Amino acid sequence: MYRQDMNKQKSDELIIAKKEIAFQDEEIEKQAAELIIANKELAFQNEEKEKRAAELILANKELAFQNEEKEKRATELILVNKELAFQNEEKEKRAAELIIANKELAFQNEEKEKRAAELILVNSELKHAEDDIRELNEELEQKVIERTAQLESSNKELGSFSYSVSHDLRAPIRAINGYARILMEDYIDKFDTEGTKVLQSIIHNSKKMGELIDDLLAFSKLGRKQVKVSEINMDTLVKLVREELLFEEGQNIPEFNLNELPNAKGDQSLIKQVWINLISNAIKYSKYKPKTRIEIGGYEKGSLIVYYVKDYGAGFDMQYYDKLFGVFQRLHSQEEFEGTGIGLAIVQKIVNRHNGAVWAESKINEGSCFYFSLPA
Amino acid sequence: MDYNNVEILFVEDSIEDATLTIRALAKSGFSNKLLHVKDGAEALDFLYCKGMYASRNTNEKPKLILLDLKMPKVSGMQVLEKLKSDPKFKHIPVVILTSSKEDPDVEKCYALGANSYIVKPVDSHNYFNAITGIGLYWMILSEPPI
Repeated sequence: MYRQDMNKQKSDELIIAKKEIAFQDEEIEKQAAELIIANKELAFQNEEKEKRAAELILANKELAFQNEEKEKRATELILVNKELAFQNEEKEKRAAELIIANKELAFQNEEKEKRAAELILVNSELKHAEDDIRELNEELEQKVIERTAQLESSNKELGSFSYSVSHDLRAPIRAINGYARILMEDYIDKFDTEGTKVLQSIIHNSKKMGELIDDLLAFSKLGRKQVKVSEINMDTLVKLVREELLFEEGQNIPEFNLNELPNAKGDQSLIKQVWINLISNAIKYSKYKPKTRIEIGGYEKGSLIVYYVKDYGAGFDMQYYDKLFGVFQRLHSQEEFEGTGIGLAIVQKIVNRHNGAVWAESKINEGSCFYFSLPA
Repeated sequence: MDYNNVEILFVEDSIEDATLTIRALAKSGFSNKLLHVKDGAEALDFLYCKGMYASRNTNEKPKLILLDLKMPKVSGMQVLEKLKSDPKFKHIPVVILTSSKEDPDVEKCYALGANSYIVKPVDSHNYFNAITGIGLYWMILSEPPI
């Protein structure tokens, strides 16, 4: 028993052990299989991890790069920030300035408003003044129109007055002169010496009166005559005047020194009359000087041309100069030098109508020099 | 006077001027066939044989007309205008005599066909010469148109 038991026990134990071992083998095999699977799993995991590691390295690099970029941006931003801070400061300064300027503008605005108010006042005053001026202007224009009409009609009146004077005054004088001459020619035997003298005086004075009327008319006509301005060849004109001079037999003819004359602008026929009058005067007042001469010349003076006629004749007293150019004013007696005293008045009127001037220098017994100026 | 034998028709309203003019013409021998009429109306009556000249022969015409301008009734200008526009009379020389240089009608007279225009000078010596000259020129030297 025991031994058997023992053997049985042992065999049972062996079987159990065997079973255990088999089970353990099985377990080990299971475990080995599981390990293979686990191994595979680990290998796969390892592989994955390596992949991840490689990815992480790449990601790391990327991050490092991004980091660098961010640092760059950060420095840039610091700079920009500083700049902005500076600009900010500037802006604050400008703002402060603007505030001041604004205040100033506000003040100016106020002033301007005040000025504007004042201006409105002044403006309305000006408007009043303007209205007044306009009214005055209208009145003036009306007056000018009236005056012009008056002048025109008085000019016309003057024209018909001149005609009347020359027609109606000359007729009776012509009769006096004519009838006196009939007495002189047909009834002279009835007069004694005294009577003849009286008759001669009537004839002489009526003739003189006729001349005065003609001269006065010529003078008044000048004021109404239109001045037709053109370039005058003065050399030609003066030579013509010189050639047209009429000398009586036995008359003392002076020598003429004609210098070259610059041209001027004027009315040819009127300026010719000026030369005629001045040259005739020079001849007349030289008549008591034997072998005398008359000098004619001209020169430029600024925008004017000055002409002169110089004689070495009787001359005149400069203290009566203011009468020289007057109508019917004479500085010599009729017995000494004939004439009505209209010549120089005509000269002055003509030259004045050309916006020129006329003047003279003289010394008694040494001669005179008459000047006149015309626009070049 | 024989109105058919008038050589110079002298139209002048002023007795004084007429006397002096006639005397000047007489002294130079032109007064024997002169007729003096006192205004334009009478001058036209004479030429057209009307009024107191109605019996005159219309074919007899003067050789010269001396015509004053300023006259009563019909003025010298009117007479001149009428004569110079009438073929019967326009060939007769008309000498205008006037007192004035200022006469506004000088140009008009020439335009109307006046043959000469004399301003009567105040100085009778010159007047005499002027009138004698007119007589000499128009009555003797000037040839009338045929």
